[in-house]
Formats: sequence, C-alpha cells, structure tokens
Amino acid sequence: MRFLSWAYLGLMFLFILLPVLALVAFSFQDGRLPVPPLKGVTLEWYAKVLADRDLMAALWHSFLVAFGSSAMALLLGFLAASGLARAVLPGSALMRGLLIAPLTVSYLIIALGLLQVFNATGVRPSLFATGIGHVVINLPLCFSIIYAAMGEHQRSALRAARDLGAREWQVLALVSAPTLAPALAAAFFLSVTFSWDEFIIAFLLTRFEVTLPVEIWSMLRSGLSPATNAIGSLVFLVSVAILLALEFTLFRKSRP
Amino acid sequence: MKKTARAAILLATALVPVSAQAAQELNALIWCDHGDPALLEPFEKAHDVKVNIKEYQGTAEALTILEQSRPGDWDVMVIDAVDVGRAVDRGILAPLPADALPTADFFPELVMESHNSRDSVIYAVTDKFGYNTIAYDKTKVEPADMASLKALWSEKYAGRIGLYDYYLPMLGLVGIAQGVPTSALGAEKIETLRDPLMALKKNTKLVADVVGSQTALATGEVDILLGGGEFLTATLHAENPNLDWTIPTEGAALWAQSLAVLKDSGQPELALEFVKYVTSPEGQARLATSSCYWGMPANAKAGEHLSAEQKAVLRWDEQAEYLKRAQLYPIPSAEDDAAMQDLWTDMLQN
Amino acid sequence: MSIERIERRQGAALVAPAMLWTLAFFLLPFLAMIWMSLSHLEGREVVSGPGLENYQRIFTDPSLRRGIWVSLQISAVVTVISVILAWPLAWIIATRVPEKWRRLALLLAVLPFWTSYVVRSYSWALVLGENGLIMQSLIGAGLLEAPIQIMATRSATIIGFVHFFTMLLTLTIYSNLVQLPPNYARAAEDLGASRWQVIRLVILPLTLPGMVTGAFLTFVLCIGDYITPQILGGNSELTLPQLIMLQLGRRGDYPMASALAVVLMVLVTLAYAACARWLRMERV
Repeated sequence: MRFLSWAYLGLMFLFILLPVLALVAFSFQDGRLPVPPLKGVTLEWYAKVLADRDLMAALWHSFLVAFGSSAMALLLGFLAASGLARAVLPGSALMRGLLIAPLTVSYLIIALGLLQVFNATGVRPSLFATGIGHVVINLPLCFSIIYAAMGEHQRSALRAARDLGAREWQVLALVSAPTLAPALAAAFFLSVTFSWDEFIIAFLLTRFEVTLPVEIWSMLRSGLSPATNAIGSLVFLVSVAILLALEFTLFRKSRP
Repeated sequence: MKKTARAAILLATALVPVSAQAAQELNALIWCDHGDPALLEPFEKAHDVKVNIKEYQGTAEALTILEQSRPGDWDVMVIDAVDVGRAVDRGILAPLPADALPTADFFPELVMESHNSRDSVIYAVTDKFGYNTIAYDKTKVEPADMASLKALWSEKYAGRIGLYDYYLPMLGLVGIAQGVPTSALGAEKIETLRDPLMALKKNTKLVADVVGSQTALATGEVDILLGGGEFLTATLHAENPNLDWTIPTEGAALWAQSLAVLKDSGQPELALEFVKYVTSPEGQARLATSSCYWGMPANAKAGEHLSAEQKAVLRWDEQAEYLKRAQLYPIPSAEDDAAMQDLWTDMLQN
Repeated sequence: MSIERIERRQGAALVAPAMLWTLAFFLLPFLAMIWMSLSHLEGREVVSGPGLENYQRIFTDPSLRRGIWVSLQISAVVTVISVILAWPLAWIIATRVPEKWRRLALLLAVLPFWTSYVVRSYSWALVLGENGLIMQSLIGAGLLEAPIQIMATRSATIIGFVHFFTMLLTLTIYSNLVQLPPNYARAAEDLGASRWQVIRLVILPLTLPGMVTGAFLTFVLCIGDYITPQILGGNSELTLPQLIMLQLGRRGDYPMASALAVVLMVLVTLAYAACARWLRMERV
C-alpha cells in the first residue's frame, strides 16, 4: 500500500511535469525544430524572443488587460457582495444567480455574444473590448469568493460602524475591505491568472494590439520554432518565481 | 458611488490602447507573410508610419471583418487573386493607377488582368504566388512516383500522407487528379469528387494547417504532403534538405495573392505607397522570403535582390515550365463554395 | 425610515453596477446571439429570421451532428479519467505525504498551471509526436520498434485535456479532503472497518460534493475549448468549438456559429441539471 502510493505519486508527477520539462529543455535547442534529438544548447531563442517587439508588446497588453479587468471585477464584485450581504433584497436569489451565471457558460459563447453586440453598436475590437469580456468572466468569481467570506458578524460590524456615524464609503473602505483582505487578495490573484491565460475572448475581440496567448497562437500558426518554447518557458519561470516569492513572504506568516 | 465612477473612468483610460509612437498608422488586413517585420520595417522607416496588421484565414472571414468595420478602419488588404472579383462586387476596393504599378516587370502569367481588373479598371495587383502540389521527403519516397498524383491513392503510400487543410486548392487538386480542370469545377462536378476524396482520406494520416503540415513533414510523421509546395518546405530547407516538392504531370494548383487599397481608406496616397513598396523589387524579395512562408515574387526583377541559394529554394529557373502546368484555384459561386466547404468538412469528420 | 429600508436601498445601489455590467455584457449579448441563431446565411448574405433553418441543418447534417457527438464523448471520457486519476493523487498528498512536504507536493502537482494555456497544448504536441520525447525514448529503450501515432488523433486531445483537468480536480478534491475531520476515519476504524472500507464508505462519499463540482467544471471547460482539440487533434475529427470557429473563419457565417453555440449552451445546461443537487457554485 505504501509502496503503491509512492509509485503512483511518482508516475503522476512524471505525467504532470513531462510537457513542461520538454518545453523548457527544447527551448535551448540549437536548431530549428524543438524535438529530439537535442542538438546542442543555445540561448539564441531567448535572445530572439526578448528582441521581438510584437511579443514584448503583447506581454504588456496582457499585463494591462489582466490587472485592469481584475481590478474592475474585484470592485464590482466587492460592491455587489456588500450590497447583497447587508439586506434581504427583493429578488436577491435571482440576482445572485445572474451574477454567477457566466461561470457556467463557455468562454466561446461569451466571446461570440460580445462580438455580435460590439459589431452591432460599432465598438471596435480592442484591448478595451477584451477587458470588458474578462470582467464578465471574472466578476462571478470575485463576487462568489467575497460573498462567501462575508458572514453575519460582518453585517453586525458594518451596522455598528454606521451607528457610530461612519459614512457609507468609509464603512466599505475602512471597515469592510480590510477585514475581507484575504478574500479580496485571493479573488484578485485568481482573476489575474484567468485573464492572463484567456485565449478565445482575446482572440475574437482584439485587432492590432493583441494579448500574449493570441500572439503565441499566431507564432504557432506561422511556423514551428524553439522560440515558442522560449517564450513559454520564460512566462512559466517568471510565474513560478512570483509564486515562490509569495509563498515565502505573504503566505508564510498565515501558515498554521 | 462617485468613487466607483471615478475608478471606472481611470480604468477605462488605462485600458485604452496606448497610441503608437509613429506619426501615422496604416491598417492592413493580411495573410501572415505580410506581417514579417523584415518586410514592414523599411517601409515604416521611410514613411514614418506604423503598419498595424491583422491576419485572417479565409476570404469570407476578411469580407466579414470589413463589413463589420467602420469606414476608414482599413487601408490595404491582401486577398486571394481569384477572390478579387468578390471584393469588387461589394464595391470596397479603390481603383489603382496603372502607371504606379510595375506590372511590366511581372511574370506575364501573374499580371492576371482578368482577375485583378474589371472593365479595364485595376483594383488589385498580384504580389506573390506559388503552388499547392506534392511536397515530400525524397529519402523516404521514390521521387519518380511523385510525378503522378495517382501515387497518393496507391496502397504503397497508405498512412504516410498528410493533407493541407484548405478546401479550395485541395479540392482543386483532387479534381485535377480526376481529370477535371479547376475552371470546370462546377456544382455538378463537386459531388463527383466525394468518392476520390474519401478514398484519399483513408490513405492519409493527418490533415493540418501550415505549421502542422510543416511539423509533420519535417519530423517524418508523414512522408508526403498533398497541398504543400515551396511555402511549406522553404523555411525548413536549412533544417531538413531532404524535403522536396514537384509538380506532377497532371498539374497542380497555383495560388496567387493580390494586394488592394480599400475604397474607404482615409489615406489613399500612403496606402498606394505601400502597394508600390511591396511590388517593388526590394519589397518583393523580402516578401518572397518572409519568415512566415516563402513564395515566388510576382515581380521578376526581385531576382536581383535574392541570393542564388534563395532562388534555388524557390525554383526560380523552373517557373516557366511550372506555370504551364499549374491551374489557378477554383472560383466557386456562393452555392458551390458552400458545397465545397461542406464536402471538405464531411471529409474531416469521417 | 426603518433601518431595514435604508439598508435595502443602499444594498440595491451597491449591487446595481455589477448587475448592470452583467446585464449589458453578458445577458444582452447572450440574447443577441440567440436572435442571430434564428437568422441564416443564403449564398453570402444573411437573411434575417426568425427561422429555424440552422437548427434544422444541425440535426440533419451528419458532419455537424457528429461534431456534437464527438464533443460529448471527449468531454465525458476526459471527466471520468480525470476524476479517477485525481482522487488517489489528492488522497495520497493529503494523507500519505508528510505534513512538511505537503505544500510542496501540491505545488508540484499543479505546477504546469503556470505555463500559458496555449503553450501547454503545444508542449504536448512536442512530447507526443512520432519524433517526440515519448516515442523516441520508448524506441531508444527498445520497447517499441516503430512509433505509434498518437498526435493528430483523439487520444492526443484526451491526453492534453486530462493533463490539465487532473490538476484542477486534484486541487478541488484535496481542499475537500483536508477539511474532513480526521476523527471520522478514526471512528470508523475503531468500529472495525478496514482501510479500504473507510475510504470507500466514509471518505469517498464525503468528498462527493467537491468531486462533482470539479467534474462539472471539467465538463464545461472541456466541451467549450477550442485550442486543445485544434492543436492536438489534428483535424482528424471536429469538435463543436472547432465547428463554430470554422463557421466564423471560413464562411463568415455568424448565424450558424451562433446556432452551434446555443447547442453548446444547451449541453452545458443539461450537464448542470444532471449534477445540480451536488453543486454549490457559490462555493467554488
């Protein structure tokens, strides 16, 4: 049983990590094709990727869209959760349902619908349009995480603050938000991750300025190259570095 | 609530695309080969302009994009030469002045007046061409077999064939193999291609786009790629010199792309400058060897800017012979086009 | 005014922006898409509906019908395999791995999450190809004479999907497992249950909600995904999202694309109805 467990663990780790290892290994390929045999080791592809202006622009665009749309989703989600947590509103179950609904809908459907509405109203495809789409997919996430974190005690605390004469925005910004900080942070980082990685909405709703996944997709369509491995590995290594940094600073203290 | 509004406005401004550094912008709807920075940069520098590019996959998609855009959104577009007529029908292309185009230097077959003009008004100019034919690894097949399209239906190469995933030239090729010229591929002929197409599918291992095809051929997953040509093998030549292509005796499909200026362009002069640049010998040489895919330049003078090795990869000296045997893409009516797409989808799905 | 009424009014004001956003950018586009699906393309022109031409075609055209079937099959198989692979993994990490390595093990188990999504499929293409790592290693080790074709088949699509969703499910099941009070299992053992019985009769049922939520998410994300089948499946057969993108890219046929999207939506709703009793979406 014990042996079986470890064997299973090892096999699963191999399965899970294999593509990533292959990706990183062949980003150093000294040749045009990122498949075995490994002909030699070179950093040429990394240099090429870092000098590629379109790719670097896409990186920046992804960053803008991810942080912008996540901030918006967080704000809307936080306000909505505060509103729904504070009072029993008529139709509040329906509203909750509607706010969460986009979570159960494929991104492709959201993208297609937005594309048609934008076309009909003359909104041009752009990073802004993509950002709107990303708020749609991240709002339910932010809302449900924050809403779940708001308990009864929260409601009493808010009431107490208000009784003491705090204004509405003060209650939200100075009482509510700080006590919900962990949930807000979790919601934000999750949103950033989803937006950063999202393809189909960005693909259909951008035109000249595209996000990283779309740029990588067009790289893929225009030729097989270790450069694709290099940009993939770069993004991966930077993400893992950020993750480890967070692990050792922010989350270390909160560990039991 | 005011705070929300202010935050929203702040966000909105942060998300609005940062306008580029260059003084002007030129918006181009293109195939990926026109997006190569090596092609665009000289033009951008000379005219202090930023060329914005958007790639598309098929003419229908391009026309839909144009339809959904606002007037002035687009300045130039690349379009299959055989589809120029469709764009002219919609009245979206601007006439081009004949004296601005170096068509006198072109390979004569590629001036394509009947496609690029209507009522002696020029609407587009050919800028690149090549073949959808048989590409193969010459160490793994008998090159002599490749002289006939029939080889693809033979037992000998079963399971070693890949198909390029674009229905127009591919159905053209299947037709050519059946003795139906592409120009005769009308409604009643299309259904007759079904059986040979399905038989071909039985022999094939995969159907893939440009990259998938390149990969499959370069890594030896398939030995033959029907629909391939210089646009598939040229960029891989350095990696795998065994890749080769030929035009079989029955013929092959000739692809040609044209460049056009949109009628609603707000800067027709600049757009025309772009057309002039791309059709100039230097622009043509850069386009021919674009990082996305290679192809023959329409302007024969481009030869002066290409190395002997590049010309060898492009089969510069054999073009006269090739052009004789190749046939243009089929030009289906809307109904036939739908029928051809349905047939192709059926093939993929079965 | 009573406190309740003030709170109600303020509450409504706070919910309003999010509601407006959802109505304008989710519900309205969704309705527009349904409306669009009732138009159809004749020749190259859109004929405005309402009509059911597209739906008629979907249910009579064998290629389109097969697309629905292929999508359903792939999503179902992927969901089942992923759950079967993920549960033991989550369980081993939660109970077998020493406390101090647990976080690291979990991190390793979901590490590829942090590669870009497009790149993840692409790297499987490199690994699974005939000249890829797996085949070459197997041939090198003398276990295989000639490479087997996995790339450009349904198996490749399934492997790519299973890889991603096993990670996702490991996470959801793990978080469910660590929330279980350990004395449940101990109590069962004290009452004479064997270890297998404890897992089967106590732990497994208690993780059902997490499992079903994860499985539902897997199904939804899987059936709506375009990239994985497009990169790995090699056009050997077309899934619903591929057919939708084909309508947009090759034909510019928005009505048909919309109709297929509506069908996709119906499939997801059916899946939701099937597992609704275990689902608590607010808790995802």
